[in-house]
Amino acid sequence: MPESTGVIHDIGYQRYTGPRLGRRHVFGALYLHGLRTIFGLGRSAKAKIFPWLVVGIVTLVAVIVAAVRSQIGEVLLTYAQFADSMSWLIIFFVAVAAPELVSRDLRSGVLPLYFSRPLPRGDYATAKLLALVTGLWLLLGGPQLVMFLGAAFTTDAGLRGVGDELLDLLPALLYAGLWAVVFASVGLLVASLTGKRAFAAGGIVAVFLMTMPIGGTLAILPSRTVNELAGLVSPSTLVMGVGTWALPDPPGADSGEGLMIGGFGPVYAVAAVLLVAACVTLLLLRYRKVAAR
Amino acid sequence: MSTVTWITARGLFGRRRFLMLLPLPAVLVALAVLCWSLGVAPADWGPPVLVGLGLAVVLPVLALVVGTGVLGAEIDDGTVVHVLTKPLPRWQIVLPKLAVATGVSAATVAVPIFVAGMLADSVRLGGALAAASALGALAYSALFLAMSLLTRRPVLLGLVYVLIWEGLLGRFVSGTRVLSIQQWVIALADRSAPTDLLSTTVSVPVAVVLTALVAIGFTALAVDRLRSFSIAGETS
Repeated sequence: MPESTGVIHDIGYQRYTGPRLGRRHVFGALYLHGLRTIFGLGRSAKAKIFPWLVVGIVTLVAVIVAAVRSQIGEVLLTYAQFADSMSWLIIFFVAVAAPELVSRDLRSGVLPLYFSRPLPRGDYATAKLLALVTGLWLLLGGPQLVMFLGAAFTTDAGLRGVGDELLDLLPALLYAGLWAVVFASVGLLVASLTGKRAFAAGGIVAVFLMTMPIGGTLAILPSRTVNELAGLVSPSTLVMGVGTWALPDPPGADSGEGLMIGGFGPVYAVAAVLLVAACVTLLLLRYRKVAAR
Repeated sequence: MSTVTWITARGLFGRRRFLMLLPLPAVLVALAVLCWSLGVAPADWGPPVLVGLGLAVVLPVLALVVGTGVLGAEIDDGTVVHVLTKPLPRWQIVLPKLAVATGVSAATVAVPIFVAGMLADSVRLGGALAAASALGALAYSALFLAMSLLTRRPVLLGLVYVLIWEGLLGRFVSGTRVLSIQQWVIALADRSAPTDLLSTTVSVPVAVVLTALVAIGFTALAVDRLRSFSIAGETS
């Protein structure tokens, strides 16, 4: 029997003995990373083009609105109307951001790595969803703040004018939050179904864009009840319907262009809550299954 | 039928997700039939269904997904190398792909919009809409095919065109309508079947010339780009 010549060297491997941060910190890190991904921060210049294009356009519109108001005194768009008229850009922004958040991870197969950490599946989906909600809210809320500052610094009524303006702004920020929650949950659900960013973007746009004319067509059918409920079929008119019901001075109320919702305001609110709840549930179910592959 | 045509068609139809696009035209027909059967005046439902849904949403979105898919999907997968390394002139790769993209989007849009146009006014309007949207499909497909060679994110760039240029600017800044494929399609359809359902500010000769220019120009651009195409991994 030959003498054993092998030696085990101690090459200095050590166990990690520092603090382990746990679930909350993983969640926080994922959320922050998601928020940075949406705006392309920490990524190459190419990843910044589309998000910042949208941010730029939205801010430009807000600056124009604020400038016109301070110079001529004409209010082109109220805070809530601003959110409504930006709806196409919000759709585009969701189509840019949602696939970046979830489709890339699906495509490159890194989900098992995420789920080998102390991170429940639900947390992954929730963190991404919260990041998208925050991103959309910032997209709408930031320009509204610009409009507010423009109005606040040019008001004639002194501090009371600023106070009135603030009271106009706060409900509009909540309304922007509603836009963000509804669009983020629908968009993220669609994006989580495919690993191809291109196809996810197409799907998101198809869902939002298709439903809008359907609502428009239902609104001219010869039945008053159907007309007033027509807004329910499309996420954007659904949100506008809730706004018409809940906001103190609803968008389009004076011009008659607003949504006809009759006495169905609460129905719209309930439908919005149900839509968000359904999308979040489906998203969580999706992530219960997806990592098993 | 060349092999490239065959591969492209299989790449499109061989995947289940292509079937997810079929609800788009189906909704168009369903809404038209619903309005017609309930006896709504065509002047009321014609513009939102024919233009608002058909020409402004179904046609561009279908052409976008199909047009960027015929070449873009292969570039994404990296399988385009197999086609590029064959001794084929570049135009023999681009033209079959363009033909498939145009054929698929024209067929899936023309049929429902023919039905909708027929119910709204007459067979003549249906035929005019179908023919015009087929020409529109050609222009859109050429545009989006060229985009998939110009950038790594063709769908997003195409969405910028469809949503922001045609959708948002076309509504508020009327000058941009001259450069909008959607308006050319409306002008062409309105010329061959004059009704008061369709209205546009673009004149017919301008629409004809610009449609041809876009179709030919972007195809030539795509052939040229493919000539010096470099394959790189996914960046950003």
